[in-house]
Amino acid sequence: MQLMAASCALLGAGAARSQETHMAPPDSGLLEDWSVDSALAYYHEDGRIQAIEPVVDVAKIFADGEALNFNVTFDALSGASPNGALTSRAAQTFSSPSGKLQHRYTTAPGQLPADSNYHDDRIAVGGTWSVPFTRVDQVSVGGKVSAEDDFLSATVNASIAHDFNEKNTTLSFGIDDEFDSIHPIGGAPVAASDYESAEKQTGSKTKDGVGVLLGVTQVMTRTWLSEFNISIDRFHGYLNDPYKFTSIINSAGGTTGYEYESRPDQRTRKSAYSENRVAWSSQISTALSLRYMSDDWGVRSDTAQLHLRWTLSNRDRYIEPTIRWYRQTAADFYTPFILSTEKPAGGYESADSRLGAFHALTYGVKYAQKLPGLGGRPESEINIRAEYYQQTFDERAPVPPGLQGLDLYPGLKAVLVQIGWRF
Amino acid sequence: MSGRFRLLFAMLAVALIAGCGSLGVKPWQRDVLAREEMQLDSEPLDAAIDDHLYFSKEASSGGRSFAGGGCGCN
Repeated sequence: MQLMAASCALLGAGAARSQETHMAPPDSGLLEDWSVDSALAYYHEDGRIQAIEPVVDVAKIFADGEALNFNVTFDALSGASPNGALTSRAAQTFSSPSGKLQHRYTTAPGQLPADSNYHDDRIAVGGTWSVPFTRVDQVSVGGKVSAEDDFLSATVNASIAHDFNEKNTTLSFGIDDEFDSIHPIGGAPVAASDYESAEKQTGSKTKDGVGVLLGVTQVMTRTWLSEFNISIDRFHGYLNDPYKFTSIINSAGGTTGYEYESRPDQRTRKSAYSENRVAWSSQISTALSLRYMSDDWGVRSDTAQLHLRWTLSNRDRYIEPTIRWYRQTAADFYTPFILSTEKPAGGYESADSRLGAFHALTYGVKYAQKLPGLGGRPESEINIRAEYYQQTFDERAPVPPGLQGLDLYPGLKAVLVQIGWRF
Repeated sequence: MSGRFRLLFAMLAVALIAGCGSLGVKPWQRDVLAREEMQLDSEPLDAAIDDHLYFSKEASSGGRSFAGGGCGCN
């Protein structure tokens, strides 16, 4: 049941916890029955965005095996958001779509153009309900609503898990449906339209997506747990970033104008994911995950992540270093700039660096201290973790002489610091 | 379906067949598997915060579970 519950929880968007470590006393009072997991994260990019993100998740497992959890996440983002335009030897002036009022900002020569007045708040509320309906079958249903200043997303999901082979094997299947409404500040720009003409459409845009996930979880040995998932999702609708545009440059490297990005209106992604957890000794365990993803935009990515947990003392503390490696190819229509002499007619294009070819490394470490439980709970935990994330571009298009020597692909460096409390 | 995904489906089928065979433990041998660090969802908030970061900065998401929720427009 524990394996099945974990598989079901993973299939859902929510974050239900395993039964083993968070079992609440069945006869305690209302509040004492719930386990609470909370965190406060601070994220800071070098010269760009910063964010503060508090998260609270409450969960309860009932005596009959039913499990219920709710979570609330809040994000406050501010800073400078790259607008897609290319670094230039001349100053560049833009009209910002952020905020209630349009304002203009100027990027100095040699600097990456970014809207320094970027600000957005997000609140997300989600929940999952899991019910065992036989000794070896469990269903879960969940949902999530996420709202930003210019974006609303609603997601529902359902999954079923079946145990067999003396509960050493769990087969899971889940389906997820998402509906998003985008209402860009200042209106949605017409795809591939001239930036200066500010050709905007009124009203909101929508996109919707459906995904399925098939997974198998297997107890390999007494100290080795393995999981393998295959998932496919397909999104349809407005998939542009309304605030991104692409520089048009002449053969000398001078910027002659800008064009709003234009992406296809559908995207299908396939991914395969595996995770292996191994306890090497009473103190050392590892979790290794691998993911391969491809989509019909031409993006292929590989991800590998390793957590190593070193449990100290009488299992009352642990240190967990983490390393993650990620690599992606560029989308077929990614271009850092458009040459005015080769300007495509009506083709797809985006200079969003997130669609370019790059690799990224994350280094992290977490320290946790177990404490006596509160209100009859078996234990509580406080923890702190820090991560350093760095993106480096892998492919650099040939540039006209006038742009040589400029840092056109500055990459990204970011740190994340998080404190957490579970009780 | 690409060749790479055919191979992955074959691996899944093999894993399933293998799962029905000799792999696994008896109920009284689950002591280590019951530890917190051996749960697939042992650190759900860390995973959620990381997933949101990577969703906002990379072209890939999901795999471990469903992706979704949020715009990533920054």
